Amino acid sequence: MAIEQVLPARLARWVAAEPDWEQVYAEQLPRVLNFFRYRLVDTADVEDLTARTFEKAWRARHGYRRDVAGFATWLLMIARNVAIDHLRARERYELLDVATAVPSLDKSPEQQAVQHSDAQRLAALLATLPPRQRELIAMKYGADMTNRAIARATGLTESNVGTILHRAVEELRGRWRGTKS
Amino acid sequence: MSNDAWLHALRSDPSPVFNEQLRARLRTQEPVPLEAAALSRAKDRGDWFRRALIPAAAVITVALVVSVPSVRASAAQFLSLFRVVNFVPVAVDSNRLDRLQTDNLEIGALIGEHVQVVQDPGPPVTVTSVADAAAAAGMTLAVPQWLPANTAVLETAVMGERVVRVTANSQRLQQVMDALGINDLRVPAGLDGQVVNVRVPPVAMIRYGHGNRRTRLFQARTPHLTLPQSVDVQALGEIGLRILGLPAGEAKQFARALDWNTTLILPVPPAARSFRQVNINGHLGVHIEHQPPGESPTHVLLWPAGDRVFALVSIANVEDVIAMANTVR
Repeated sequence: MAIEQVLPARLARWVAAEPDWEQVYAEQLPRVLNFFRYRLVDTADVEDLTARTFEKAWRARHGYRRDVAGFATWLLMIARNVAIDHLRARERYELLDVATAVPSLDKSPEQQAVQHSDAQRLAALLATLPPRQRELIAMKYGADMTNRAIARATGLTESNVGTILHRAVEELRGRWRGTKS
Repeated sequence: MSNDAWLHALRSDPSPVFNEQLRARLRTQEPVPLEAAALSRAKDRGDWFRRALIPAAAVITVALVVSVPSVRASAAQFLSLFRVVNFVPVAVDSNRLDRLQTDNLEIGALIGEHVQVVQDPGPPVTVTSVADAAAAAGMTLAVPQWLPANTAVLETAVMGERVVRVTANSQRLQQVMDALGINDLRVPAGLDGQVVNVRVPPVAMIRYGHGNRRTRLFQARTPHLTLPQSVDVQALGEIGLRILGLPAGEAKQFARALDWNTTLILPVPPAARSFRQVNINGHLGVHIEHQPPGESPTHVLLWPAGDRVFALVSIANVEDVIAMANTVR
């Protein structure tokens, strides 16, 4: 007879306290929104995808297991899937978006971005990163996740996350400074 | 500003309009109970041991004598509890848990070998009203006469009666005592093979919403435990208290002073921020506050009244929670 067949597990789950959803919303909305800002080339869909993420999470919130992941990680895992679905659906169009939204790499980023704000410069540089690097940058600097939380959300090891992020940041930094040819 | 400040250049706050529109949209969307229940059932197995350590859950389940979570099992399962009149909170020493884990002593599993589910009601069933919940639970439900402003009943549900039979195993208990270095006490003679019957009457739940805050009231008739008279309950109680981490002298004194037939030891997990005894409408209850990482403080109030045991679990402010509890009739 397995112990989980005795009633406590069900009752324990039933009784387990709910998070303060008002506070969760206030804390997590900027993180999810900024995750999409960093993750997507086209920022026109950022609010729509953020809303989609919260609606999915809201509907499924009773299934959230706090013993498996912190709520923020759980929410970002949903956001990540929303982003993946979105990018797949828009794959064909995104190439066009990239072409129009991101300055050509024929010129140095400094030259391209000289009249742009820092945000535009960074967006342009992010668009040049491979998808995995970009996703991790979005989690780290958009959603403000720790390397451990990113590892949990992506299935990568924490050290792998650190390595990928380090390379990506060095790449971006070099271009930002105009030192990369 | 750090050298990486430029990496934050894309960050910005949500626009107030978007913030409010999304908030309003979410408020109109309640979770899908069936979907949640399905998820819950699907995930109901496998890592029970870890989940049993969720502070509030562990507290409540032990309180209702329906849980066998880790070390607390020894205390809760083997005590002679005929009627809960008093809750006595005892802080669990986390070092004890660590030591048992180091020795690969998952007591839940050990005891589980000797638990027979006689009656399994399945998961909680959502019903449409408080009246239906009362009918399903077979009792008139007590409800708070005072509620915070703009409170609505969001859900009512009932979990049916469960009956389990636990067969005591002296050897297992001795293993735990050995692992914890409890060498000055002995497992009471004649314990081995004794059968403890635990009957947990139906549990009714009413979930209230105040804005996005939630408060849930659980109530059930007092669980019944029966065990042979020959079992030395006081000696077992002392062992249970030692397992929880009480010093030897304190445990002995405590064990002698308590009426083990009416007192439920409430093991308070190390993760709890605070706990204290409170007077709820003339009954001695326990207020436990805990805060899961990144979440709001959660209040758990437990109190017995008449032939019932009540629990309020809420993230509302503590004054409101106690005010609600005090008016439950």
